[in-house]
Amino acid sequence: MALTYRQEIKCKMETELVKRIVGGLKEAGISFVSYLPETRLSEIVPVLREDPSFMIVPVANEAEAVSISAGASLGGRPAAVYMEGSGVYVGSFNLLCLGRRLGVPMLLIVAYYGSVLDTRNSFLYAMPGIHLLPVLKSLDIQHVIFENGDSLETKIKGAVKMMHAIKQPVALLFTGEFTI
Amino acid sequence: MNRYDCLEFLVPSMTDQLVVGSLSGQRVEWGHMSRHPGNLLVASMGAALGMGIGLALVLPHRKVIVLESDGSLLLSLYNLPTLGNLNPSNLAVFVFDNEVYSGTRISEPSATAGKTDLAGVARSCGVERATTVRDLESYKQEATKALTENVLRFIVCKVEKTTGHRQIQRPTEDLWEHKYRFVRYLETTESKQIFLGRG
Repeated sequence: MALTYRQEIKCKMETELVKRIVGGLKEAGISFVSYLPETRLSEIVPVLREDPSFMIVPVANEAEAVSISAGASLGGRPAAVYMEGSGVYVGSFNLLCLGRRLGVPMLLIVAYYGSVLDTRNSFLYAMPGIHLLPVLKSLDIQHVIFENGDSLETKIKGAVKMMHAIKQPVALLFTGEFTI
Repeated sequence: MNRYDCLEFLVPSMTDQLVVGSLSGQRVEWGHMSRHPGNLLVASMGAALGMGIGLALVLPHRKVIVLESDGSLLLSLYNLPTLGNLNPSNLAVFVFDNEVYSGTRISEPSATAGKTDLAGVARSCGVERATTVRDLESYKQEATKALTENVLRFIVCKVEKTTGHRQIQRPTEDLWEHKYRFVRYLETTESKQIFLGRG
């Protein structure tokens, strides 16, 4: 019997971690997620889709995701953008103008590829990974790095509280055990 | 056809709609002629349509109007496949296309002065009711349908190049003040808290 692509490459983080990420988002009050899926965290998408408390919107470009989630956020649904680390670069102008200048709260769920703890790191990923934190710093976007599931729900809840408190984007960066 | 006249036609119809504007001269003109509390003039190129989509999705019972320009839309064409696939019936998009980068002051022609047909691009992305209007009467007919019907409409309005907005006094309200006014209006009209957190 032919294997599916996903079975062949065995790319998935622990099912338990997937459920805990989505559960943590829900518990923290996130109810809207725009997304441009990638390899490391994409297992969260079907779990988000199955939960009717989330409205999820696929996009063509992370800058678009930022603007759509900004509209959803100001419309009254606490919103997130799920993307790869490269999406921070692509979406940086909208993160600056909508997130920082206009002051719209939103959560960035970022697959932190190319970090030291990225289990799939390679010459493809390392350079954008190295520059991701300086880019976030230059945008003055607060962030939390997740290497494993320790205190995952507490950290997500704290990040969401922070985004509401400062009315700005706050980023969750997933690496380590989330990049298997 | 003059952009100011097009915008002015919309003003008396504003009741509980939400209006998202981008950065071009229409932001200055609309802000000058409309004090509607449902205005959200984001003052950024390439973001208004996305924000309008987000608002339309989470508030499906409210009419959302997006005021875009050719330059801003060209910067964010990635919105059109998403718009076509989501097809939010409560969204009306007006693209004021003067075919120039007028912000340059020397008015370099934009792509729409050449072969690019924005309504055609929208249609090919799945936006069925995308059209181009070139005179005020046609505009009024399409705008009336966009305001009254519960169906996604995308209207490219070919307007004259103008610098009239430069004669208008700029608002003193900054973006945060503007945003808070919009959000408080929504909180009141939707009877729900939008900005969360405790003091």
